[in-house]
Amino acid sequence: MSASDPREERTILAGIVGDSLRSVTRPIPAGEPPELPPNAELRVIGKRVNRVDAVPKVTGEARYTYDVQLPGMLYGRIVSSTVPHARIKSIDTTAAEAYPGVRAVHVLDRILSIAQLRDPSVEADERYPLVRYHGQPIAAVAALSMRAAKAAAKLVRIEYERLPHVTSLEAAMQEDAPVVFPGPTEQAATAGGGGAAPNLPQEGNLRGPARGGLGGGPRGDVQQGFAQAEHILTREYSTQVQTHTPMETHGLVADWRDEELTLYASTQFVLSVRDEAADVFGLPKEKIRVFSEFTGGGFGAKFGIGNYGALAIHLSRKARAPVRLMLDRREEHVSVGNRPSTIQRLKLGAKRDGTLTALQVESFGTGGVALGAGVGFCHSTMYPIPNVLTEHYDVFTDAGPSAAFRAPGQVQGIFALEQALDELAHTLGMDPLALRDKVDTNDADDARARKVERRIGAEHAGWAQRRPPAADPGPIKRGLGMAQSQWAYIVHGTTSCEVRIRGDGSVAVMTGAQDIGTGTRTIMAQTVAEELGLRTEDVDARIGDSRYPAGPAAGGSRVTSSITPAARNASYAAARDLAARIAPHLGTKPEEIVFQDGRVFARGEPDRGLSFADAVRKANFDEIVHRADRREDYEGYRAKLGDLHISKQALGGVQFAQIAVDTETGVVKVERVVAVHDCGRPINPKLIESQIYGGVIQGVSYALYEERHLDPDTGVQLNANIDQYKIVGSRETPDIEVHVIEQLGRQSSTDARGVAEPANVATAAAIANAFYNATGKRIRTLPMTPANVLAALRADDRNDDEEPA
Amino acid sequence: MSTLQWTDARSVEEAVALLSASGTIAKAGGLDLLDLMKEGIVAPARIVNLQRIDALRGVQFDETSGLRLGALTTLAEIASDASIRRNYSALAASAAHAATPQVRNAATIGGNLLQRPRCWYFRNELFHAARQETGREQSQYGAIFDNAMSAMVHASTPATALLAYGASVHIAGKQGKTRTIALGDFLLPPDFDRDRDTTLGSDEVLTHVSVPPVAANTNAAYHKQTERESYDWPICDVAVVLTMKERKVEGAKIVAGAVAPVPRRMSASEKLLLGREIDEQLAADAARLAVGDATPTEKNSYKVPVLEVVIRRTIMAALR
Amino acid sequence: MDDSTAPELVSLSLTVNGRPCTVRVDPAATLVEILRDDLGLTGTKIGCDRGACSGCTVWLDGEVVASCMTFALDAGGRSVTTIEGLARDGQLHPVQQAFVEHDAMQCGFCTPGMVMSCAHLVESNPDCTLDDVRGAIGGHLCRCGAYPNIFKATLAAATTVRQRKTRGPA
Repeated sequence: MSASDPREERTILAGIVGDSLRSVTRPIPAGEPPELPPNAELRVIGKRVNRVDAVPKVTGEARYTYDVQLPGMLYGRIVSSTVPHARIKSIDTTAAEAYPGVRAVHVLDRILSIAQLRDPSVEADERYPLVRYHGQPIAAVAALSMRAAKAAAKLVRIEYERLPHVTSLEAAMQEDAPVVFPGPTEQAATAGGGGAAPNLPQEGNLRGPARGGLGGGPRGDVQQGFAQAEHILTREYSTQVQTHTPMETHGLVADWRDEELTLYASTQFVLSVRDEAADVFGLPKEKIRVFSEFTGGGFGAKFGIGNYGALAIHLSRKARAPVRLMLDRREEHVSVGNRPSTIQRLKLGAKRDGTLTALQVESFGTGGVALGAGVGFCHSTMYPIPNVLTEHYDVFTDAGPSAAFRAPGQVQGIFALEQALDELAHTLGMDPLALRDKVDTNDADDARARKVERRIGAEHAGWAQRRPPAADPGPIKRGLGMAQSQWAYIVHGTTSCEVRIRGDGSVAVMTGAQDIGTGTRTIMAQTVAEELGLRTEDVDARIGDSRYPAGPAAGGSRVTSSITPAARNASYAAARDLAARIAPHLGTKPEEIVFQDGRVFARGEPDRGLSFADAVRKANFDEIVHRADRREDYEGYRAKLGDLHISKQALGGVQFAQIAVDTETGVVKVERVVAVHDCGRPINPKLIESQIYGGVIQGVSYALYEERHLDPDTGVQLNANIDQYKIVGSRETPDIEVHVIEQLGRQSSTDARGVAEPANVATAAAIANAFYNATGKRIRTLPMTPANVLAALRADDRNDDEEPA
Repeated sequence: MSTLQWTDARSVEEAVALLSASGTIAKAGGLDLLDLMKEGIVAPARIVNLQRIDALRGVQFDETSGLRLGALTTLAEIASDASIRRNYSALAASAAHAATPQVRNAATIGGNLLQRPRCWYFRNELFHAARQETGREQSQYGAIFDNAMSAMVHASTPATALLAYGASVHIAGKQGKTRTIALGDFLLPPDFDRDRDTTLGSDEVLTHVSVPPVAANTNAAYHKQTERESYDWPICDVAVVLTMKERKVEGAKIVAGAVAPVPRRMSASEKLLLGREIDEQLAADAARLAVGDATPTEKNSYKVPVLEVVIRRTIMAALR
Repeated sequence: MDDSTAPELVSLSLTVNGRPCTVRVDPAATLVEILRDDLGLTGTKIGCDRGACSGCTVWLDGEVVASCMTFALDAGGRSVTTIEGLARDGQLHPVQQAFVEHDAMQCGFCTPGMVMSCAHLVESNPDCTLDDVRGAIGGHLCRCGAYPNIFKATLAAATTVRQRKTRGPA
């Protein structure tokens, strides 16, 4: 659909169901299905339907990339660097190649998924890619058994010429720090996010400042804004490096044949695997087919083929056999992504009544040898602050590359911003909720959602019973805090669904998307079922094949928002087609045909109808096929970056955390979280809750436990495992209460938006604010380990806030 | 490709004989062995499997002789055994809080005492090959006592409790010779340069652990303080075993683990309690005394107040 | 394997999901490798290969173990139950059914191991409490964060098992 498609103006009810609905007018493209009523009036959409692919997951039948076994398949094993910064002088693979069972060895000539020199000629004379972190992939071996591959990999002899290295953010910022990249660099975002703005200045390891972002860059004049302020607070916050740690590591099965390259990928976007393979290997896209039936977690890191995928494909081509290359847990932690750290200096100016006058943030973060350390866009888009300046610097270190991680940048930025607001509220003697009521006033869907969410959350979290800071006399101190979030509502431009109704009455829907655990098949099947009057389980939902109609990336919380309107439109067309064929048999006109409760009948005559299958058989056709593209949102977008379409409207979210701090041991326990969210029209509350549980739990884990530790002398990640890289387990899981509002924004034929990332954004800030309520002290450093907590409790917390007359 | 040889020993004597060959390692549950093999730190030519030796199994208790734990007794068995729970509650607790349910079902007390440290320099092939514990100052875990040369700590948490109960280990060697050694003398400060952190000889087998009978009026408590409750190595763990006469302390053993190279008896604190009635203040004084001579590194200094708190709380818990 | 210098394989006989199996294994092989690679039972997953995530949980003689940290030869003569062996006669185990009803999964990679631990719990202790569930799965990592629904599903399954036991045979 383009701007020139014929439109008709429709007046429809929009807003938050159960709170306030108002009439809006939208330019609806011709042929669009009628708008759906609120969920209470629907039969399948909005209902708590069981995940349609739950059974294969609980029986072990679900096949992940790690489980793919092809005839003659070889096992791949990576050889990675044992030094943090070096020029490779030589690589001798003879012993590895001669090892029994080895069928191929390949040495990389380029490194993917990291920053690239703007001027490649700077390193054009290098024989091999420079080694820039300990654990950087260099080569790989394919052998008949994993044991043989591992043994052979150890025999690859690499001669390094060591270069000085730097692993810490602070050290890398110093003028005399060892330089990671010898010239300016670029790195584009993946479909999940990350990457950095192009053409920014770079000096030493510092690249920036980046001043842009969704909000469009600086606005107003912060100096004037601070001059107008009656209270100014200046604070510094720091957050740690977090690794994605999906349960299934990154990996690829590559089967190179003359006629076609087949890939089985643990991925968040099958088309990105296809496209990067096409690009790296110079193949036409039509000659590459990618399968991904089940992906064992991604969280933003699984896009493209990566170095491990390039190696698998090279090995398969050389060995003329399929190769499965899965990373082990160490390689997973080290080489395929992380959430960068930050040091954020934030200055907030406000009037005594809470009106915000200026916000300035200077931030630094390291994503190792990749670009993409940011602090999000909330500063310029969440609250209507008239004067805003954000300047962010990426700092290179000799460490593993970052990758987009569940609301990239925003989690870090909100940790600081929402704590600063909490501090401001306390200083002004205002309730933090009252301050949000005062300042969260944009004329936008997310602000409207948060207003309702604050009210619901406050009630369920017991906000009215909140006590003053440090109320508990004993060593265990409890507190309650809240924080808000904003995330982009994103649509994947090129999304298509195809619905097939077969002559035997069976119905299938397909799109080339994948599922990292959000329930892609289910929401797609629900949408089709609603339109055809069927049950979800009657619809065969197919994904995970790049040959299906193009599907969205599972990133940016966009799967449901992109697929459901396309699926609905395709079903609607198929239903109209079917109605035209059935109507004569029921003695009525096509527009009088109703599909409901598994039956087909003329309006007003439900008892004279047929079952869906009988009606189809009576219509006597072989197959009806209808494909529909995801049309553009009716009011268009704020920005379109390739397939990433960012709505003018955004997603909200408000979370309340109740915690207990053992002030003697420094151990923090998150006891309860109330999470109130919006996601447009909720398609499946059961699946939405699961996403929110997951986001909150990852937020608790980020706030309390996770941290990547590097040895400064060698650049080795010291805790590249599961027992010492600490993640929330069963005993750390808080009691989580979820409330989801139904917000009909009226931008598409289903109005579904996203929730996976919003669920992760506010949690750490809510916990930090609860920490203050519990102890009367602020903790501005993550993670809240006993060491950091005890330090925060002992710190002299006096800040010299400015109060200009 | 070298083949790992696997031999099932049918008796302790046979195991001892097989261990005399170089490159041979004895295996009980295999948990630590597999981890070390996977990390590339050990590469045995032969494994002697002890699991078929019935003489190494069994839990025996009676009031007069005390407790006898066959070396193959699993942590799960120790955690659930009724006589251990009743008479050696701190030991049962230490086993119940070790590792995960899956590991406890397979890990043996012998293997647990013989395991190598979890220090993240030790468990990494790179540092191990270089035989250096570079940058020990960087670890926020590790020892706050006796750490001038190394901050590595022994990884066994049941050892903390066993030491507090005065346990001994029993060893079989060549020609049927056996010896008994107090646990405190058996454990050695972990070292990169040795292939073991105990006085067990290379052709010896740990056959069983014995724990003396407990006096009536014994009160005990155990606490493992972790960052994460679900499954984590300890910041510190503390076992307190008190024998009381009326309300006064007649005997006291206070042992702290994961804070020194081997589990540490807090002797000065024990002496402070003798002959006195315990209250919150006395427990606090004893705890403060225990950490008084700590020499933490910059990164693990938080362990000092944490240990102090855990000792105080565990002393009080022992009273209940 | 067709290499002349392949490791000397040793014969291993064990019962897997009720069926006797004999395979030739490298003595260094772990139980999970045998299950997945030799017997094609890929339901059991490898998450960390160090016994720290419990994704590889199977029952060995009816007890939960980490199959990635179990030598294959240590399972000789013993009985192994994997996720594929939990459902009987096409009927899902109450835990499997409850996981489906309560959406106790997201990506599903940790699910087979998780189901094995939860099934073991409800069968050995149908009166289990929430604290018992947390303890039984204390070694499991679910990165997607499905724990709240895993708790609900397991307690619901325990109720089912309890009721079946009190009702007695049909």
